Amino acid sequence: MDTLQHLTDGLVAALGWQNLVFALIGCVLGTLIGVLPGLGPAAGTAILIPLTFRLDPTGGLIMLSAIYYGAMYGGTITSVLINVPGEAASVVTCFDGYQMARQGRGGTALGIAAIGSFVGGMVATLALVVVAPPLARVALSFGPPEFFALMLVGLGLVTSLAGRSLLAGLAMAVLGLLIAMVGIDPVRGAPRFTFGIPSLYDGLGFIPVVMGLFGVAEILLTLESPTRQLVATKFTALLPSREEWRRSVGAISRGTGIGFVLGLIPGIGAIIPTFTAYVVEKRLSKTPEKFGQGAIEGVAAPETANNAYANAAMIPLLTLGIPSSPTIAVLMGAFIINGLTPGPFLFQERPDLVWTVIASFFLGNALLLILNLPLVGLWARLLHLPHQYVSVGTLLFCVLGAYSLQQNVFDIAVMIVCGIIGYGMRKIDLPIAPLVLGLILGPFIEKSLRTSLEMSGGDFSIFFTRPLCVALLVIGALILVASALRLAPAEVREARDAN
Amino acid sequence: MSRLVTATFAATLALAAALGGAGAQQSYPTRPIQLMVAFPAGGSTDIAARIVASIAEKELGQSVVVVNKGGAGGQIGWTELTRQRPDGYYIGFINLPATNTVILDPERKAIFTEKDFVPIINQVLDPGLIWVRADSPYKTVHDLIEAAKKAPNTIRTATTGILSDDHLAILMTEEAAPGALFRLVHLEGGAAQLKEIMAGNVDVAFDNVGSIATRVKSGEVRGLAVLDEVRSKFLPDVPTMKELGYPTVISSSTRGIAAPKGTPEPIVKRLREVLKKAMEHPDHVKKLEDAGIAIKIMEGEEYARYFADTHAKAKKYTEWARNRPMR
Repeated sequence: MDTLQHLTDGLVAALGWQNLVFALIGCVLGTLIGVLPGLGPAAGTAILIPLTFRLDPTGGLIMLSAIYYGAMYGGTITSVLINVPGEAASVVTCFDGYQMARQGRGGTALGIAAIGSFVGGMVATLALVVVAPPLARVALSFGPPEFFALMLVGLGLVTSLAGRSLLAGLAMAVLGLLIAMVGIDPVRGAPRFTFGIPSLYDGLGFIPVVMGLFGVAEILLTLESPTRQLVATKFTALLPSREEWRRSVGAISRGTGIGFVLGLIPGIGAIIPTFTAYVVEKRLSKTPEKFGQGAIEGVAAPETANNAYANAAMIPLLTLGIPSSPTIAVLMGAFIINGLTPGPFLFQERPDLVWTVIASFFLGNALLLILNLPLVGLWARLLHLPHQYVSVGTLLFCVLGAYSLQQNVFDIAVMIVCGIIGYGMRKIDLPIAPLVLGLILGPFIEKSLRTSLEMSGGDFSIFFTRPLCVALLVIGALILVASALRLAPAEVREARDAN
Repeated sequence: MSRLVTATFAATLALAAALGGAGAQQSYPTRPIQLMVAFPAGGSTDIAARIVASIAEKELGQSVVVVNKGGAGGQIGWTELTRQRPDGYYIGFINLPATNTVILDPERKAIFTEKDFVPIINQVLDPGLIWVRADSPYKTVHDLIEAAKKAPNTIRTATTGILSDDHLAILMTEEAAPGALFRLVHLEGGAAQLKEIMAGNVDVAFDNVGSIATRVKSGEVRGLAVLDEVRSKFLPDVPTMKELGYPTVISSSTRGIAAPKGTPEPIVKRLREVLKKAMEHPDHVKKLEDAGIAIKIMEGEEYARYFADTHAKAKKYTEWARNRPMR
């Protein structure tokens, strides 16, 4: 009851015109930051922190939070329209979103993404209000060994992304893991595959690599046949058809659940929930072959998951004071610079502020939906520009985006090279998704393995003595066995069915 | 987006300054100054840099643009800084002892040395802090060290990264308390430490006062010792290692501003004056102190000497860290 009272007070405060304006400004800026590839939510939020010095803390925090989840949606727009992920969490949306756009269903893709984001964000915030503190405690038991086991489960999912050839899929996943090895190794601090170039010490940037593999590769393909139309048919609907609705409802509800649960685990980042949501939908689908060809579930699930994640990730921050992603860490910096330390005590010391900020999440999510649905038509119309303008514009956008990451020309070079590689992969029909998965999981696997072993003094039994870790390893093994059976040669499968 | 706007704005200003100042008397600065931060936007160095920049530019009459050149633990940014023309239009933050360890670690193959910087002024000195969970069995540093002697290499001790100031501080503690051996767990930073300490995955953390002071004050965690000559004003109840009988365990992380080697002395002097004024400005002081970050202004000779001392100390422990069997 107490909670309800606080929330009501918070809502009233958040509805004050000043706070509402801050939320609106935040949503608009966030969307813009999301649209500009490279400049992700973390950097975007950081740059705008000084702006909030002049505001009162509540208004400032409302605005920064709105920027954060606004960016989560904004990244979708470029993924769908030009196959360039506007921020890391929108990579998965490229798989099917861009295909939908090419079939003239770009408006629908953006529409379902807006709706899914809204649902995911709302439900996660509601859960934040109702069940946050105990859940956050449970999520803490997720230490480095559990993290490692979870990443292995993720790697097991690669078979679902393999496309036509399992071997090609596995090879690409390994390539992704290898690329992830570039940089200073986390165990001994020695540079690996860096050729003495300091720009390589942190490894190849994820964003330049995926912008190259998707966006630049797409531009190169367009060059090949100058007459090729980006959009095959005329853009029609904003809202999904009845059939598309039916298929999206399940995807949105599962996406919400996956995004929320993974959002509770500090350090997991926004990409893994989207990948998980996508793979789960593909596994459950009766028509998995449609994934990658413009399946609406392939947009609805990850887009919902990333906003559910974004809002759920506030839970460890607000309840324990632990920032679970780089962007949240920046937000925490904004709290601290305003003299507020997020954590259990903040709820007691400044309930008015905390609850107003939480209440603003509801309003912000609603604002985003109101803001974005009418804009969808405008965005989609961009695709009707002559393709040469779209191509040049996209390339300019990518170059600016890659440079804006660290003001380093090297990132532009990485992007261009990856673009050429991506083009080659498309030509010989190698799947890109497993490579991206390997690239994401690689550093996590290595870091969590190493930290676990540092904790145990080099003893591997740490993975077999923690119940949650064992459970996850068993799940991983089951997934592998199931995949092996599903993908086994026809003779093996027939023999099994005969038994 | 905003960075683009800033860049465009800066470029416009530069153009205006160039046109306007063409015939007029040339006096530094005539165009915007870039202030490099060797870490990504949003980190504590960055936030404090933006506060200084916003005050200093009013004084200078030219904008001071914060440029983030993050990566490789600062190496990218410092490489960039030392390669700039020494004309006072590109200065940057150095973070001692991180800048020193990058130079000293042979694997880093840094192309700059400690001689490539002209230290201008130090802004922040954030002393090290040893801290544990509020319900930890280690109530004092004495408990911790006795335990580390009784069962060497079992107490899981978190750093904020390989060759970070915290990593070196652990080695200093081992040196000061012969027989004590900690099991090092290299985590990525303060947030990761907080998570693993709260979850019970590590037993003790070495970090800096600024990262955790507010949580020590609220009682969420317990501070065991401050690694400084004097107690921290933010944690007056936490003793120093010096008081506890370990006078050699002195470690901190600092942030200050330096120019590339060869910058003319009049320019350095002007920058020092302006930056000092900015750092003493009430807005700057309040923002940093609210966040638990200790301002320590060191200029000229004093700062240059501090740089040299830190370098010598970092050299000793970097070599030790590389040769310590269980690192």
